[in-house]
Amino acid sequence: MRRIYERAGLILLNIFFIAICFAVLIPILYAVSVSLNGRNSIFGSDFSFIPKTFTLENYRAVIFGQPVLLWLGNTIILAVSSVCISLLAAVPGAYSLSRLRYRGRKTILSGLLMLHSFPAILSMFAIYKLLSPMGLINTKLGLILIYIGTMAIFGLLNLKGYFDSIPIEIEEAARIDGANGRRTIVSVLLPLAKPAIIVTGVMVLIYVWNEYIYAITFMTGESNYTLAAGLYSLQATEMSGSWPIFAAASVVVSLPILIIFFAAQKHMVSGLTAGGVKG
Amino acid sequence: MKRFILFILAITAMLSLPACGGDESGGEGKGLGLVIWHDKEDAVAAALQAELDTLKPDINVRLEKKNGLTEALKMVGNDPKAAPDFYFFAHDKLGVYAEMGILSPITELVDKAALGGFLPMTIEAATYKGAVYQLPIYFETLLFMYNRALMPDDEVPATTEELYSFMASGAGGKYGFIEQHSTAYYSAGWIHGFGGGIVTEDGVPLLDTPETVKALEYHGKFVERMPGESEYATVNTLFREGRAASTIGGPWLVPTARESGIDLGLAPMPVVDETGLPIAPYSGVQGLHVLKVAADNPEKNAAIREVLKLLLNPGIGAAMAKASGCAPALEACYDADDIKNDSLVMMMRQTAEKAVPMPNIPEMDVMWNVVSNLLVDINMRGRDAAEAAADAQKNAWDLIKAMK
Amino acid sequence: MNGKKRNTLSAWVCNIPALAFAGSIVVFPIIYTAYISLTNMNVYHWFDFAVIGFKNYISALSVVDSGFLRALGLTVLWTALNMILQLVIAFVMASLLNIEKLRPRKVYKTLLMFPWAMPGYVSILLWKNGMFNPQFGLLNQWLSGWGSEPVRWLAGDVLAFICCLVVNLWLALPFMIMIMDGALQSVDKSYYENAMLDGAGWFTRQIRLTVPAITPIIAPAVVITLFTTFKQFDVIYLLTQQVGAKTGANIHTVLTYAYENAFVTNNYGFSSAVSIIIFLLLISFALLSKIRRPGNEKNI
Repeated sequence: MRRIYERAGLILLNIFFIAICFAVLIPILYAVSVSLNGRNSIFGSDFSFIPKTFTLENYRAVIFGQPVLLWLGNTIILAVSSVCISLLAAVPGAYSLSRLRYRGRKTILSGLLMLHSFPAILSMFAIYKLLSPMGLINTKLGLILIYIGTMAIFGLLNLKGYFDSIPIEIEEAARIDGANGRRTIVSVLLPLAKPAIIVTGVMVLIYVWNEYIYAITFMTGESNYTLAAGLYSLQATEMSGSWPIFAAASVVVSLPILIIFFAAQKHMVSGLTAGGVKG
Repeated sequence: MKRFILFILAITAMLSLPACGGDESGGEGKGLGLVIWHDKEDAVAAALQAELDTLKPDINVRLEKKNGLTEALKMVGNDPKAAPDFYFFAHDKLGVYAEMGILSPITELVDKAALGGFLPMTIEAATYKGAVYQLPIYFETLLFMYNRALMPDDEVPATTEELYSFMASGAGGKYGFIEQHSTAYYSAGWIHGFGGGIVTEDGVPLLDTPETVKALEYHGKFVERMPGESEYATVNTLFREGRAASTIGGPWLVPTARESGIDLGLAPMPVVDETGLPIAPYSGVQGLHVLKVAADNPEKNAAIREVLKLLLNPGIGAAMAKASGCAPALEACYDADDIKNDSLVMMMRQTAEKAVPMPNIPEMDVMWNVVSNLLVDINMRGRDAAEAAADAQKNAWDLIKAMK
Repeated sequence: MNGKKRNTLSAWVCNIPALAFAGSIVVFPIIYTAYISLTNMNVYHWFDFAVIGFKNYISALSVVDSGFLRALGLTVLWTALNMILQLVIAFVMASLLNIEKLRPRKVYKTLLMFPWAMPGYVSILLWKNGMFNPQFGLLNQWLSGWGSEPVRWLAGDVLAFICCLVVNLWLALPFMIMIMDGALQSVDKSYYENAMLDGAGWFTRQIRLTVPAITPIIAPAVVITLFTTFKQFDVIYLLTQQVGAKTGANIHTVLTYAYENAFVTNNYGFSSAVSIIIFLLLISFALLSKIRRPGNEKNI
């Protein structure tokens, strides 16, 4: 009897999620459908999800007509560097914030959190003033600096929250087993914090992937664009109402993120429940 | 394994950093390198680039597409390391940049007599406080376009009242006429048709003048017979799908309308019955502006003169006008047969004679939004025109005062 | 004593890189903006600006009129509604996703993250043109399929606000679900086993055990989302207020209001003063709200 209830509950749950996912995806399915539609009537009153005349022409136009591979390369360089440096800076910082009690810690954190509320619209000019003397305008290094700086506080605090949730006893146990401080961190704590590290990394990655305002302001020339900036430049303006191509480009830009996200899922299962209890 | 991946990632990061620090300016063989920022379509840029390449190998001019060009120029305008040497854009921002002090008047760089060859309207647009800051290439303005299937040639309205009765007759469930009615750029034509205006040359807003208020009221009666929304995609699509008989649109609408199989007609703007003046839209003049940091650089000065001189050649105006569907700024371009026989270009020129160049004063920057809000108030929120205009006038003054 | 000092020192060293990055990109602009707000940097004094004291603040107060106060009220409402809905929906979704026997959860999770994988402005344009457009949008096509009159979604103030809210939830929920999901997974499952033996119901269990357990973990993300929501510009601006595509709704947050009434002037001194005022307002709101309630203080 109980089993049947459980079964029915699961089926209902699956139906619920399928419905929710479909509802969430409607605008995106719309974009996909527009991008595959052969006829150019995008806003047409006769829109249907299944394109009446199917075509891959728009994708061909995006991939071969635009320097998409170049943009992809730029984006990957920026994203990988930003993610790595962010994590390298945030993991030790967050650990020290979580484990070591020292003067000024609380003030810094709440202070920094407060400062995050500053509207970014005017930061642009100040950041230009900061980067320009260093010759970092129109360089990837400049953009990387901006991205890391923007995400730094978030990474620090996010990781600290997870470190706090790892019982200190686990570390102490490792220490009793004879591991020294650094080894405890590397071989015990980091694996436990893996989901948090991956979540933070994914967060930085998505931010960099989708950021376009700094990219179009500080980078010049199509060959230096990121995917998001390139997409922005393809945007349907009054002059070039190329919605199908724009829709196709949106799909192309989003796809890698989804693949990465799907791949990261496996690693986002908590180290604590999976490993900590067993170990 | 995990550590190995982390290690690889770290190495990639280290390696990629110095590699991406290098800047890519200059380069490309010998000759002096000059950079033009623009935000135009590829075809227009290619037409210009082809012409500029004739200056090789002595002068290498590179066109760089720059999104958000107007904002970026404010930042980098006087930074010799980051600023371009020229930018290619409409004339309406040149007052802002001239006041900021980042533009060089082109009269110091080209032969003054050569400027006589341009249509007077384009030079007027390029002039701010007595100095010419732009070398005009081509211009665009809005045209009255109609769908012959829905509006036969002999029914094309000559006056606004004729247009109104056409709309009221309800052409078979279609819209008789549509436009982006609550957008300053499109509605300015109606205001000018009543002798009103948005802002004077000296930066005095004109929103509460009797002429402007009358225009807004009169325009409101047309808006009632148009769809509620006024943004580009809606208006453009309704026309392209043959659900609207006529519209006021830019040259960029022409190719898409023809592609959609519309039998497109172009006509002069209807005349406002009350004043006898035609609807007179804004015109935008696209051209080349020289940055001060570049003109002041003795190494570059001569090359800049060469580039400007090259652009005085009628061939390039004609090529770029073709690529953009706009009309060349140089009088001489119209001697060529293929320009003379292009109905779009000729209609553009004819309309442009009545059109009003967009104001190029810094004050105009704040007016766009004020006027849009005013139009929304009247057309979409049903406010009384005089009352809304008085509020908008006050708002405009507040913003203009806040500029200083 | 000595050890403690060394501890402090090494803790600071660990934090220096992250703090330096944040300092240059987040803190420096604030200081610089504060400085510019004291100068007359505008179109007419772009490079030769001088310090003029608090004059800009006096003119900035002119922006703080009834329109601004209305925008401020709307911003508070916007932030509160968004936060409540995001937290509740994300919590429910993440809890359901963590039901043990739900096999295809990876697929669901990935699909639910979709909205996050597109640049925000693309999604907003898609919503505006694909969903809400009264002539061609899907919503009205469906309505007319059922024989209803078309609705102008973004024209009326209340309806437009709700539409903006929906779009913002659509954009923000993936992040929140992911954070909740991560937090739920780091909660030790043995807690539950004990509680289940006590015979506590699902709801009680969530409130008594899960919520307190995940609060410290999600706190930073929640606080940052709170600020992001407060200063959200794109959703409301691009959906309803974009010049050339205004829809008729008169809804403004402090930022869109400040944009139309200060930033467009190209007067950087003036707009900097407005920014600093908004910034101070925000901070005072943050201090007033429950971020610093005693129980929570040690967590942040």
